[in-house]
Amino acid sequence: MLNIADQSRAQALSKEMGLTEAAVERRRRIVGLDDRDLERISSIKELVLAHIEEYTSAFFDYLSSLEEGRAVLANRAVAERARQLKREHLAAMVQTDYGSGYVTQRLELALLYSKAGLDLRVFLAAFHHLLKTVGTTIMKHFEREPNAGFDAFMSLKKVAFLDIGIIADVIIFERERVIRQQQDAIRELSTPVLQIRERLLLLPIIGVIDTHRARLITESLLGAIRANRAKVVVMDITGVATIDSKVANHVIQTVTAAKLMGATVIVTGLSAEVAQSLVVLGIDLAKLNTVGDLQGGLEEAEYLLGHRLASDPSVGYSPPVTRV
Amino acid sequence: MLAESSVPIVHESDIVVARQKGRELAAAMGFSSTDQTLLATAISEVARNIISHAGRGEVALSEMEEGGRRGILVVARDQGPGIADPELAMRDGYSTGNSLGVGLPGARRLVDDFDLSSAVGVGTTVTLKKWLRK
Amino acid sequence: MSVPILKQGDILIASIQSALSDRDLVELRDELADRVGRLRSRGVVIDVTALDVLDSFATRTIRGVAYTAKLRGADAVVVGIQPEVAFAMVQLGLSLEGITTALDLEEGLALLHAGKAERARRK
Repeated sequence: MLNIADQSRAQALSKEMGLTEAAVERRRRIVGLDDRDLERISSIKELVLAHIEEYTSAFFDYLSSLEEGRAVLANRAVAERARQLKREHLAAMVQTDYGSGYVTQRLELALLYSKAGLDLRVFLAAFHHLLKTVGTTIMKHFEREPNAGFDAFMSLKKVAFLDIGIIADVIIFERERVIRQQQDAIRELSTPVLQIRERLLLLPIIGVIDTHRARLITESLLGAIRANRAKVVVMDITGVATIDSKVANHVIQTVTAAKLMGATVIVTGLSAEVAQSLVVLGIDLAKLNTVGDLQGGLEEAEYLLGHRLASDPSVGYSPPVTRV
Repeated sequence: MLAESSVPIVHESDIVVARQKGRELAAAMGFSSTDQTLLATAISEVARNIISHAGRGEVALSEMEEGGRRGILVVARDQGPGIADPELAMRDGYSTGNSLGVGLPGARRLVDDFDLSSAVGVGTTVTLKKWLRK
Repeated sequence: MSVPILKQGDILIASIQSALSDRDLVELRDELADRVGRLRSRGVVIDVTALDVLDSFATRTIRGVAYTAKLRGADAVVVGIQPEVAFAMVQLGLSLEGITTALDLEEGLALLHAGKAERARRK
């Protein structure tokens, strides 16, 4: 049963997680999968394929025996799809091809589990039960050569651990994705650039400014200057926790970058005392256009814009453009 | 297979080739637009350094994976006269005629890891690393 | 001449295309200097909108172009530096100090015309 949307989602996730051929090779190396393992797995391939239904049932029966597992299987469509994928997975486990295609296949199921909110502990328990079931049939088959049976089972277990590693990483990655999104949202809120008038932006900065945040603020501001065609920016640093030389340099860099885009930045909220201490530290504040408070800064901004508007030649004659 | 390519730096126009390739590789790896520009600019600086100090060399670009994180490795090599005092060359504001004194020290600020190794009469190798931000 | 130079009244507009070679940039500087003199242009707009990278050499050359134009009696303004390019430039330590900059061609022209109007008013 092909599900194109799921497949492409799995492929996208694969890229996001950096599951390149090299990364997958590294995972195989980590579980210690080698050519002898592949040989042994081939030797039990037919056996495993013959018992696929039994193994699939073992896994899902165990899941439904647990309260947390039952919740996942509540939705019939999800349960059906999960069973189908599980069957395909088990078959693939003994095909001895464990490249990025194999991995992408695992991602589909992992995404399903993640979306259904499957608890990792429950998954591991059910998976263990499944392996036990597989082990039992293998040992029974190799009754007369128990060592060979044991070796074959251990080789298959390596693949099982390859799978567990992937599924666990997906569940963790998806969980972290939510956290990342929340962090992005927080960052957005903490570096707001507001357009308060045509060509005038207000950038109130609150809190601690480290290098990373300074960079985000600068990127944000420069993008806003272009989007709003801003000519003047009032950057208020009243709410900045500590203004040391590092922060001052970040501010100067932001101002310089804005100037390259033709925007004048008025820095407000820099108290005389702090300014003094910065000068003592050797920071050249001459590059900054500073005004004591926000109100004063806005007035200065209005003046700059008004002054420009007064000499706006847009009503005047504009000669045609010719090529020289 | 991790992506990699090498751009010979023989003519001034090769500087643009090298930085374009760097930008493409960065884009393919998912680097942000800003990071792509920072990388391309850094490559431009080191490639130009090759032209102005050695006359010719090469810039090798490759994708790298280290301890779970991915990034781009740039190795700018030349067999030029070498830099007698690398520390002096890396001091901001130092000028050797052709450059503003911005070149290599500036490039260092654009990337995450920077290494300069040079021997007089042998050549210079500048190594830049930029990691993908999670 | 690989950089097209347009003329609007007595203002010259040089739109630098992407990925210009160093030789082209030097050629531009000399061409503009020549035309400012010949055509008695009062202003020059250097448009770098299409440039995705401005390294130390390009910045130095553009500065040279602007200064040369000024020496010939024209006002110069550099326009079109993109957000990422501006960011990279300040990280690199470049600032184009002493050179007038504007957001884009429209702003650059407005600035030049305003400058002339200002001077006319003062006379």
